[in-house]
Amino acid sequence: MIAQALFFYQFHSIKNRLTARVRRMKEPRYLFGAVAGAAYFYWFFFRNFNHGDGPMRRAFFGGDPEMLQGVYALILLAWVLLTWIFHRTRATLAFTESEVAFLFPAPVTREQLLHFKLLRSQFAILSSSLLMAFLRFGGSHFWISWLGWWIILATLNLHILGSSFAVTMLMDRGISNARRRIISLAVIVAAGAGLAWWLRNSFPAPPLVEPGADAATIFAHYVNYAVNSGPLPYLLFPFKLLSAPFLARNAGEFIAALPGALAIMGLHYLWVMRANVAFEEASVDAARRTAERVAAIRSGNWQAANPAKKPGRSPFRLDGAGFPAMALMWKNVIAASNMITIRFWIMLAWLTVVSGFIFRSQIHSGAALALTSMIGLLLGFSVAMGPSLLRNDFRQDLPAADLLKSFPLAGWEVALGEVLAPAAILTAAQWLLLILALVCCPGQWDKHALPLGTRVGCFVAAALVLPAVNFANLIIRNTAALFVPAWFQLGKDGPRGIENTGQQLILVLGQTLALALMLIVPAIAFAVVWFSTSLFVGPLIALALGGLAALAALGGEAALGLRLMGSMFERLDLSKEQFSAE
Amino acid sequence: MDIPPLAPAIPAPLIEVLGLTKLYGEFTAVKELSFAVRPGEVIGLVGPNGAGKTTTLRCLAGIIPPSRGAVKICGFDLSQAPIEAKRRLAFFPDEPRLFEYLTVEQHLAFTARIYGVADWKARSGPLLQELEIADKADKLPGELSRGMKQKLAIACGFLHAPEVIFLDEPLTGLDPIGIRRMKNSIFQRAQKGAAILISSHLLHLLQEVCSHVLILKQGEKVIDGTLEEVRQRYSEAGAADLEEVFFRATGESEAKT
Repeated sequence: MIAQALFFYQFHSIKNRLTARVRRMKEPRYLFGAVAGAAYFYWFFFRNFNHGDGPMRRAFFGGDPEMLQGVYALILLAWVLLTWIFHRTRATLAFTESEVAFLFPAPVTREQLLHFKLLRSQFAILSSSLLMAFLRFGGSHFWISWLGWWIILATLNLHILGSSFAVTMLMDRGISNARRRIISLAVIVAAGAGLAWWLRNSFPAPPLVEPGADAATIFAHYVNYAVNSGPLPYLLFPFKLLSAPFLARNAGEFIAALPGALAIMGLHYLWVMRANVAFEEASVDAARRTAERVAAIRSGNWQAANPAKKPGRSPFRLDGAGFPAMALMWKNVIAASNMITIRFWIMLAWLTVVSGFIFRSQIHSGAALALTSMIGLLLGFSVAMGPSLLRNDFRQDLPAADLLKSFPLAGWEVALGEVLAPAAILTAAQWLLLILALVCCPGQWDKHALPLGTRVGCFVAAALVLPAVNFANLIIRNTAALFVPAWFQLGKDGPRGIENTGQQLILVLGQTLALALMLIVPAIAFAVVWFSTSLFVGPLIALALGGLAALAALGGEAALGLRLMGSMFERLDLSKEQFSAE
Repeated sequence: MDIPPLAPAIPAPLIEVLGLTKLYGEFTAVKELSFAVRPGEVIGLVGPNGAGKTTTLRCLAGIIPPSRGAVKICGFDLSQAPIEAKRRLAFFPDEPRLFEYLTVEQHLAFTARIYGVADWKARSGPLLQELEIADKADKLPGELSRGMKQKLAIACGFLHAPEVIFLDEPLTGLDPIGIRRMKNSIFQRAQKGAAILISSHLLHLLQEVCSHVLILKQGEKVIDGTLEEVRQRYSEAGAADLEEVFFRATGESEAKT
């Protein structure tokens, strides 16, 4: 009876959710989004569905099956080890607050709750497996790929659950997260050291590849030998069993591989069901936190969904008197400082290193040239992606539009205040990069002389134009946010899936086109002034004058854009959006 | 011949609403609503769920534009001179709207700059003391309880000494001491000449603090006037208190028999 009720709930939840998504296609914004999203998915993934191997499939499934089995087993082993290291919370099962309210006090056994949780997770696992199969990500046939992925993902899901129970048991016995991690790491290091010792003593050195030889085949043989000799095959055995159906080349191989994989899955199932660990309290707490986040987003207070961890420092002293829009800039700089965390710097460093490697491999004309090219790449990246990454403007504050609209400020003042912070931060970063580029730039570029005057001229022109470009870019993105607030406003509670992908595609295309159009007049102004003045003055002055002309043209366009954005904000009626969304 | 004494001058209303209408497509959320609130008056806006109270408040605070009609705040038309009008009002939504990354003190500095309060430091000290959050100056909203957040929103709203105050369910989340302080705060500001409009389902609160009441049903005004006038209007039907008046005026079925 209980099982039927839980199944009824799950079935109708999914059915109603899908019905609601289909029904809202009546609204053009969702319909266009869905059409664009479907076109995108068709173009990139499904177009070649029946046309042989795609590049992804070739990359991941083109090698020797035995070697691949070893490699996949190694990946699964690494994943499992990381799971044990990174688990840090008590065992929780993801329930909604309504489910907690209905199911926890109901006469439902622990096993039934676990079964319900496992059943519910199957929907996501089946969808993910289906997507992987569509992507031709492994598997010789579509159905083999789908079922193979399902077996792997379902077992890994059980493993996460089981390991979280085990971690909870350790915590209940007084073994802290830090201690468990140290022990896990020590075991891994010891195993790794043992493996290294064995490799050193009994493993042949990698073969030398002669010019003209098939290096890939030789490498594949070597890897195959490595994963199938010594202690590794024993360690990888269960993981090989798990990945075997997925790697089957035909139905016969799949059926033959099935018992081993299902045995691993069954053992995991028994582990989860037999673990006598209380998950209820932690689950209730997790459900409450999730409900608070969702409620905060639904009420428009999206910021409460991701509360700041520590107070940001004021960038400058804000007096009570003065231009009020500066208050918005001040606020957004503080918000941005919260975003610029260690993770941000790690990402930036990673980008720099990757870009450096790319350029070093392609340019052989010295480190200075490579470094200058790399800085140029970063500058380009900052222009193209900076406004998407720095969203401390209307895109962040739109759900708090009620508050902004109650302020005694003209629309253009609010618009200006909102875009000032990301524009200033981006410009500061770009100016730093420009200084670096000026310092690094050699006097010769690809056999062309680059005199100091030209270099400084380029620097001055870029330094003049970049703030206006950032400003224009941010105005476009913020105007888009005001034009179609529902595509931004609803945040994590907004449309997901194909409609959202399509909406984002339409936005990116529209914004890129708008920026290109905005840059036409400034580019012409720059070219005309630079060319005409370079006949009379040196490159430094000519480039600087060209930059000034472009700045004036782009500045004028940006001012018009700001007025437009301000009047759009004044006319913005979010209650209509909310009304139509209900 | 005796000269009759001059009648005391009636002060001009600080809130004037004329034919306010808000439409969502074919749905009418608020219909032809007109009323006025003078200095020192506290008007309670009541009505069943979906009556249009919050929509009315948001129109009056200049957050959403009305479809028809006019709203004047201290004589400034909200659609013609929105900045002048908004400078004189404060709106407190039912959920305190705060910036999660600004501390209590940073909220006050930010609000001061928006409203041009040059002496905000001198004003904020007593306000924070009055609201008992002076020791939380460097805390983020995430570190505050629901009631504390409400108090911070109130401190921000009162910083520029508004002449017109709109409150949407002001007692939600406050403890008994907070409720008493809130009531006192409303009285004090009314005594100083502010016009206050409170939307709440807590009829006993409105009965305690309001001088006037306006009952809405399905976006339309059912009745407005002083508490006494409204009571008298329904006295024949046996209405003794605001709760009874509410049930009779809205035709709800829970009226005492």
